[in-house]
Amino acid sequence: MTSFQSTIGDEEGIAEELAEGQREISIAEFFEKNKHMLGFDSGARGLVTAVKEAVDNALDATEEAGVLPDIYIEIEEVGDYYRLVIEDNGPGITKEQLPKVFGKLLYGSRFHAREQSRGQQGIGISAAVLYSQLTSGQPAKITSRPKGQSRAQYFELIIDTDTNEPEIKADEETTWDRPHGTRIELEMEANMRARQQLHDYVKHTAVVNPHARLELREPGLDEPLKFERATDELPAETEEIRPHPHGVELGALIKMLEATESYSVSGFLQEEFTRVGKKTADSVIDNFRDVYYGRELAWSPPRAHDDRDVAAAVADAVANKGKAATTAFAEGVAETVAGNDRLSRSELAAIVGNVAENVEGDTGKTFGGTVRENAVDAAWRAITGVDADGDAAGAADDGDGDDAESPLVADAYALVDDATSTRKDDAAVRAMAEALARRFANLDGEAFRIARDDLERLVADAANFVAEQRDATFGETARENVVEAFWSRARTVPDDPPKVKSIAGDRDAAADLLEAMRTTDILAPPTDCLAPITAELVEAGLRKEYDADFYAAATRDAEVHGGDPFIVEAGIAYGGEIPAEGSVELLRFANRVPLVYQRGACATTDVIKSIGWRNYGLDQPGGSGLPNGPAVISIHVASTNVPFTSESKDALANVPAIEDEIELAVREAARELKSYLNKRRSMQQRREKQDVLGKILPEMADKVSEVTGRSRPDIDGALARIMNNVSVEREVDGETVTLVVENHSDVNEQLEITDIVSAEPTDLSDGTVVDMDGEWFVQWKPEVPSGDERELTYAVDGEADFEVSVGGVETEKLTVNA
Amino acid sequence: MTTESDARDELIDLAADFYDQFAAGNIPEMTLPTRTKSNIEYDTESGVWTYGDRTSTRSANSVRGARKLLKAAYTIEFLADQLDEDRSSTLRELYYLSESWDNDEAQFSSQDESNDLVEDLEIVTGVTREDFHMRPEESGATLMGPLLIREQTRRGEREIHCQEDVGAGGYQIPNNPDMIEFLDDDIDFALAVETGGMRDRLVENGFDEEYNCLVIHLKGQPARATRRITKRVHDELDVPIAVFADGDPWSYRIYGSVAYGSIKSAHLSKYLATPEAQFVGIQPEDIVEYDLPADPLSDSDVNALESELDDPRFQTDYWEEQIELQLDIGKKSEQQSLASRGLDFVTDTYLPERLDAMGVI
Repeated sequence: MTSFQSTIGDEEGIAEELAEGQREISIAEFFEKNKHMLGFDSGARGLVTAVKEAVDNALDATEEAGVLPDIYIEIEEVGDYYRLVIEDNGPGITKEQLPKVFGKLLYGSRFHAREQSRGQQGIGISAAVLYSQLTSGQPAKITSRPKGQSRAQYFELIIDTDTNEPEIKADEETTWDRPHGTRIELEMEANMRARQQLHDYVKHTAVVNPHARLELREPGLDEPLKFERATDELPAETEEIRPHPHGVELGALIKMLEATESYSVSGFLQEEFTRVGKKTADSVIDNFRDVYYGRELAWSPPRAHDDRDVAAAVADAVANKGKAATTAFAEGVAETVAGNDRLSRSELAAIVGNVAENVEGDTGKTFGGTVRENAVDAAWRAITGVDADGDAAGAADDGDGDDAESPLVADAYALVDDATSTRKDDAAVRAMAEALARRFANLDGEAFRIARDDLERLVADAANFVAEQRDATFGETARENVVEAFWSRARTVPDDPPKVKSIAGDRDAAADLLEAMRTTDILAPPTDCLAPITAELVEAGLRKEYDADFYAAATRDAEVHGGDPFIVEAGIAYGGEIPAEGSVELLRFANRVPLVYQRGACATTDVIKSIGWRNYGLDQPGGSGLPNGPAVISIHVASTNVPFTSESKDALANVPAIEDEIELAVREAARELKSYLNKRRSMQQRREKQDVLGKILPEMADKVSEVTGRSRPDIDGALARIMNNVSVEREVDGETVTLVVENHSDVNEQLEITDIVSAEPTDLSDGTVVDMDGEWFVQWKPEVPSGDERELTYAVDGEADFEVSVGGVETEKLTVNA
Repeated sequence: MTTESDARDELIDLAADFYDQFAAGNIPEMTLPTRTKSNIEYDTESGVWTYGDRTSTRSANSVRGARKLLKAAYTIEFLADQLDEDRSSTLRELYYLSESWDNDEAQFSSQDESNDLVEDLEIVTGVTREDFHMRPEESGATLMGPLLIREQTRRGEREIHCQEDVGAGGYQIPNNPDMIEFLDDDIDFALAVETGGMRDRLVENGFDEEYNCLVIHLKGQPARATRRITKRVHDELDVPIAVFADGDPWSYRIYGSVAYGSIKSAHLSKYLATPEAQFVGIQPEDIVEYDLPADPLSDSDVNALESELDDPRFQTDYWEEQIELQLDIGKKSEQQSLASRGLDFVTDTYLPERLDAMGVI
């Protein structure tokens, strides 16, 4: 909208008219139009959303006050309506804050804050208030008791839908049995068709907030649902951070520029952004100069054999300074110039300035501003061959080579020739160099200042010209190389960047600054603004609400997307009481808030579906999609700015950086699941074997004694050998091959294991490898104590065949599954 | 051959081996030659193919192995009892009989399993299935030709002339052909025929009378009894044996098992195989030479032919040449395709020409 306004705003009438029109849309109408986006599109859903917003608020409020949350949720039928009551034990709200917090859409302390919090938009709870007011006509009833006060305050609050201003209808003292906290009561048109989602929401909230106590009463429940806390540890307090330069947008940047008290760009950057110090600010400013002013092209000074004489030119330009001083000055300049490989005009000016100072010091003559300027002009003409009016000698005509060629052409020729492939026709390269030189000479001013995009256009134009004239093509790559050759040799200008005030007033300059910020490498934002649940508590949360056989959890390190840091955590619970039928249960959380709706549209779901779960021991029909089995997978994304697909905050948007981290976190937890399942499977096989053999062998002994007519043989020795077994099992996971040796016998075993591999093994865990004509013999001699296990690993590239042989253990004791 | 009590003793000895292994604190096991194509070797002395040196062990160390040995113990008991009582049973009866055993683990899950086990026991004890009194389900060959035999039946001795005393169907040999004795014959050679239709054609055309030929009906892949009687005819009557089958890879295997022994019963090759038996046809060469009606080779035919090229039994110049020719022309023909030249073509022209060329007549 910004750009729309800035262009139309010029015509006063229209802008006025538009503003007029906008005022006429009441907040009620706005809500009506957008309620699907806000999560209030049906009575069933509205109730869940209202609970969600109120509970999120309550959790944030209690945590901020350092109180372990104790939250009570009650839903009652009241005639045709439902009454929703949410109580917390937070700090309460002061009389002044109260109407704003609950009453005004888009109010919220955290709208601009870079901090992980549940509510991000400040729209949630007030939307619930408005929804109840619009559907039931009842005000929101709020009771608040700040800590330490003996009595509580009771308010009735409605929102004036014309002005979006809250109005307090009742304001009286009351008593409340909680020592401190807030209670909000909303009456609304609703139904309980989304009971399952409501229960899921509360249960999942309990999973992801193991430090919270929750209680839910609703008409369908005989007993209230209670979720006790699993830890007394509050989540780490989060630090608010300043925005990261990679994470701001143009509008926000202009606002910051307008609001800042800094005077210089450098101060502004260091003051208002995280991870920007003096050095980073300087690189941003250099980049800004390049974008804003362009760079100055640099040219080679004349070489010894050249007839362009810098010294003579400078001497000519100086008058009335005496011969000695003039010569000293002219030669000083010429010498320094010759010592440079390439020069821009600003560099030349600096040289002239320095030499002038020196000569002044030596001779006592004064070289004033005009003299210095004349000298710079003269020397620059000598270097570049460009007249004061901007015409390059010899570059103007394409015909005879009689005229002295412009030194620019020779310079350009060297660069173009270097930058393009050797197969390019020399004549074409020369033509290109001439075309470029002509265009450079025509640039405004004498300093050859040009921004990169202009340089690109200029090169493209020259290339087109050459293509037309010479039938020689300069393709995309060749052009890019030429641009890079000139740009990398051009010099950043010494001019001071414009002041903050003027950038704030100039949209293009602000855009240049933004581009400079984005192109500068800057450290990722700090992560103390995030409060991950931690792997430990993710697991504790699952343990608390799911009676499973196995739990695993993983927390990734913080990463950044678009200037906002984020952390992904994943947990898996498996087996036990979790129903085995159908697909696994997927719990999605963003900043500790359960996501209940739109599972199919969520990035987490996409990631889970894309993982090959068969690898990790879960059933996955068709090899993709949600896996089946008795498992719960939970994913938590914490960020200062969680990217949702819509305002109702039901589904994570598909941001590749976040998806990658989700996948890594889930895989990390899944690997633990896999090794658990493998172990369980091998134990199961062992048990089964023991069961079956324990039954069969005695029967067989009976039968052979019957047939032979002898008394029953003693089979204990044979049984003991079979039962105390040593197993060697192979696991192949991608390139990693693992041989797991488990010793179930009651003595230590010294094994000799040889694995013959058809591809070259690398990264041996230990052991030796011998190459035998394209087959590799990998050998280990592990000692495995009784009841222990060893893992022998190595890596192979691609497909390989294996053949293992195991020695050192009696064959009866050995079970090889490799 | 072993007597019945020898057979019983061998079985009890095997059970005693298991007993001793238990008693010594070891895990019972049974070692057998590996029964795969790669483990059969040519025995130069007898001219047949027998198992090589590679062995596999059935050990009670694994669940599968333990179940196998338990079943072996039960089967040993059953066979020993059967021999005691002088009864006999069929392989299929053994499979169903296992259902009556008191132990679920000992019951066979398929007939292949019980057949294999009986073969295992044959190999380990060196006693043939016939001596265990185990009969196959399918009947053996029928014979038609100038041969007088005496058969020991449960109802006494019978003397039978295989041309004069039998109907058009010929003489049906018993399951244990060692129960018959050759008394007299007027046979110049024996012709083992694969299909019933061709056998009937030869008999109808009087081929057996005209050429003093014993026509042996193989009935497809020949039963052991059929192969045994063929070998006895060759060895005891000293007549050449010619095998007349279809011109396809499956029929070459029929010839192979008559002449060289089969992979599954390679332990009995010396007792069953007739290495001197010759292949009459249909040869791939005949398909070309007589321009016989032919079907194209299917994929499985091609696979079978290629696998025969790897089969040690077929690694002779003659077979390599024929199989490669067949792969080349991509065709196969049945015996009956000779009828395209008339019903008498086979007896008047084809067989006389081929047998003459082979030096049989």
